[in-house]
Amino acid sequence: MTVATATEAIDCDLHVAPAGVDTLLPYLDEYWRSYIDDATIRMGQAAYPMGAATTGAAPAGNHEELTAVLDETRPRRAILSCLALDGVHRNPHYGAAMATAINTWMRDEFLERDERLRASMVVSTLDIPAAVAEVERWDGDGRFAQVLLPVRNDIPYGNRYYHPLHAAAHERGLPIALHAWGRGGNAPTTTGVTTSYLEDYASNAHIAQTQMMSFVAEGVFSELPELKIVFLECGFSWLPPQLWRFDKDWKGVWREVPWVKERPSEYIRRHMRFTTEPAQLPQDPEQIAQVVAMVGPELLLYASDHPHEHGASSERLLASLGDEDAEAILRGNAAAFYGGSIA
Amino acid sequence: MKVVVCRLEDFPEGERKIVKAGPRSIGVFNVEGEFFAIRNRCPHQGGPLCIGRLSPWAVASGPGKVTMDGPPRLVACPWHGWEYDLETGQSFMGPGETRVKAYEVSVARGDTLEDVRQAEADVRVPAAARAAGREPGPYVAETFPVYVEEDYVVVEV
Repeated sequence: MTVATATEAIDCDLHVAPAGVDTLLPYLDEYWRSYIDDATIRMGQAAYPMGAATTGAAPAGNHEELTAVLDETRPRRAILSCLALDGVHRNPHYGAAMATAINTWMRDEFLERDERLRASMVVSTLDIPAAVAEVERWDGDGRFAQVLLPVRNDIPYGNRYYHPLHAAAHERGLPIALHAWGRGGNAPTTTGVTTSYLEDYASNAHIAQTQMMSFVAEGVFSELPELKIVFLECGFSWLPPQLWRFDKDWKGVWREVPWVKERPSEYIRRHMRFTTEPAQLPQDPEQIAQVVAMVGPELLLYASDHPHEHGASSERLLASLGDEDAEAILRGNAAAFYGGSIA
Repeated sequence: MKVVVCRLEDFPEGERKIVKAGPRSIGVFNVEGEFFAIRNRCPHQGGPLCIGRLSPWAVASGPGKVTMDGPPRLVACPWHGWEYDLETGQSFMGPGETRVKAYEVSVARGDTLEDVRQAEADVRVPAAARAAGREPGPYVAETFPVYVEEDYVVVEV
């Protein structure tokens, strides 16, 4: 048994967020400043109800706040995720302008000031040519480790609509990262809008399952054979039954998708990774180890998900594993998956 | 053991026949003039494999770019759609899947086949006549040996 510590880990999901929309105004031109003012756009906290009394802090909003977090968690590397682009807006031009503003703010506020940091590049899902241009804009920077997309969106990510963006990420070796939550204007289920936050919260897992299957079934990996996908904050203990079923059904109806030439689970194991926080796990450490064995420890990447508090699942996970698996989850898997961008 | 299926002329292209060989059920297929035989029992859960549909390979060069390739030689089990190559019994769903037993099929002259010779003998002295204790008499009408000279489809079990 390992007495796990996340110190010196590669943290694949550490949240930052501008304290308010004012923070981003210097990165927007006059038209968009006026648009934000006229539309009274405000930054919300997607993970918590507005004004909720919670022990989970706000994400670090500046370098000083983030330094306090890093002094505590002491990662070897941390990949910042900013979800400020999530929401219900429908304006593709606004989405593109805000993506550039958020990325530039992250560079100036964090990446320029701490060499341990990398960032997830945000792009708009409403204008794919603009998203491709955003990826191209950061060519040569080297500090954006992945392209961040909301796991809940308008069209499943295997759809050809997204192909140019996936191709741009593929060409640069950048993983596509899908983070829990996202475009809240869409129902979290295929059968309609839920009535409770509880249902909405628990839906992140099956939205992730839908996206996972979409990438495979629509043949993304047959055209982009090195494309990497990472699911942030979407859980992983649901994988064994879902992979079994995906494989089983493929065996019977493969003719519908003959470009899927191997079992779907083989594509998923080769191309996809899942972060550890939050994890939905049994109480018994022995059963936790069994779950990890079924999933495959090589699929898991450590994430603090700071400042979101889901409970002690990462600690329980690491404590139930042997040293080799814990080491892989804390550092080795991420180093192999991201390669040079986090070396 | 040779199992005689039927006369060649009674087995046109595109048809299939299910024959019994002792306890085994075997499907025999005429695919564009080539004969195949395969065990009529899916190794997955025992489904009646040989009543399933036949298809060629679907070959994709990319999403949405599909051509059908070769003769329809893959049989899909009607229970779960698992497909097997008629020639080898092989499935193509990844490692660890068992194959179906496939059998040699040939076409042979009837006079080389014991079953057919016996059938010919049965025509001359039917089993029922023997069972009734009757012996053949001296009068024999003219008959014409049709089947013995023809080709039969035969499965080697």
